[in-house]
Amino acid sequence: MVHDDYKEMIPARALSALDAAEERALNEHLDNCSECRRELAEWETTAAALAIAADPAEPSPRVREQILNEIRNDRSAAQVVPFRSASRNIWSSFGSLGAIAAVVVFVVLLIGLAVQWRQNRVVKDELARSQEFLQLVTTPGAKVMELRGTDLGADATAKLAYDKAGHAMLMADKLPTVPQGKAYQLWFIVGKNPPMPGKTFVPDKEGKGMLKDQVPATAIDSAIFAITMEPAQGVDAPTGPIYLRSSEIN
Amino acid sequence: MKAIAAKDEAALALLYDRYRVILFGLLMRILNSREEAEDVLQEVFLQVWRKAGDFDEERGRPFTWLVTLGRSRGIDRLRTLSARERVVEAGAREASEDVSDAATDAFKSEQRGLITNALAQLPDDQKRPIMLAYFEGLSQSEIATRLGAPLGTVKTRMRTGLMKLRELLAGKAESFGF
Repeated sequence: MVHDDYKEMIPARALSALDAAEERALNEHLDNCSECRRELAEWETTAAALAIAADPAEPSPRVREQILNEIRNDRSAAQVVPFRSASRNIWSSFGSLGAIAAVVVFVVLLIGLAVQWRQNRVVKDELARSQEFLQLVTTPGAKVMELRGTDLGADATAKLAYDKAGHAMLMADKLPTVPQGKAYQLWFIVGKNPPMPGKTFVPDKEGKGMLKDQVPATAIDSAIFAITMEPAQGVDAPTGPIYLRSSEIN
Repeated sequence: MKAIAAKDEAALALLYDRYRVILFGLLMRILNSREEAEDVLQEVFLQVWRKAGDFDEERGRPFTWLVTLGRSRGIDRLRTLSARERVVEAGAREASEDVSDAATDAFKSEQRGLITNALAQLPDDQKRPIMLAYFEGLSQSEIATRLGAPLGTVKTRMRTGLMKLRELLAGKAESFGF
């Protein structure tokens, strides 16, 4: 077979409709032909559109819970790091290094421990927030919205999770720092109605920010979420530019 | 996909929320059983979680990857189930059409209309081989047997139908969110 023969087989390959021998032959050709690989990718996009021809259907909420529980188990298993015992006893060095060296080591250790304690606290806080967020996400009927940065906050991203009762938690990252007296404020926008104000927050120096809020009942089913920069105490109607907004998924 | 590869659970939840209705609809169409379809749906997303690092954005969009993976898993499951073992739940079809408001919102009829209109424009003899391959996982030889048509004819019709479908959908991929 020549290149054109293989090329003719690609549309059927995108539907996995080739007979076994033909598929094997084409797969070998694909290994060595970037043009045909590109073409197959295009045909696979066309084939994927057929999925939409099936009647849409809603799976049971249980499936979502099971998936998230399972991946949480995966993560827990992956995060178990064996505890390593110290390879040598620091105290034994006192005798050999002398008193001065021992004091230096001791001070360095103290500083190290203080830094580590502080880092641990930050990590623990972040972990606690992540766990809280995850708990909310795994609540039956919970939704997660992705907020993307506008031109002003191009690298910024945020996720807003909320349950059926409207308990919401926002986790933002890479937001630009805010000047003194300013803060970011969350907004709930329903249709063409005036935006409803949410709470304010100030991100840390890395642009990470967290906010707990209550989604208004009228916004639970069909709201767009946005974040603007406003005076630190918050305002009733937005006055500043939008830094993040939820993508209109569909 | 990068966030999922970095083990961001919320990113996976977002992907699930966005595509569950389309994928579950596809799996229901293939398997005609809620129980089996839900089981495969779960497998698919767990595979996405574990293999998101393998996703090659140069080879297509996440939607294409996800649907290709979902369909492949669905067809595999279909093949492992004998006709007797297949749990054809009475009313499964009706249940599958009972879409929640949220699902309907997430699945604009305009988008679905594009593909159903495109399919409606294909002659039946081109559409059938495509649908049998996509939703039942039949090979061209099996389709030829099923339809009582020569293999060469089935190949030509399938290819012609797919080319026509691609033309009809050209430039519309973005509106599907592919």
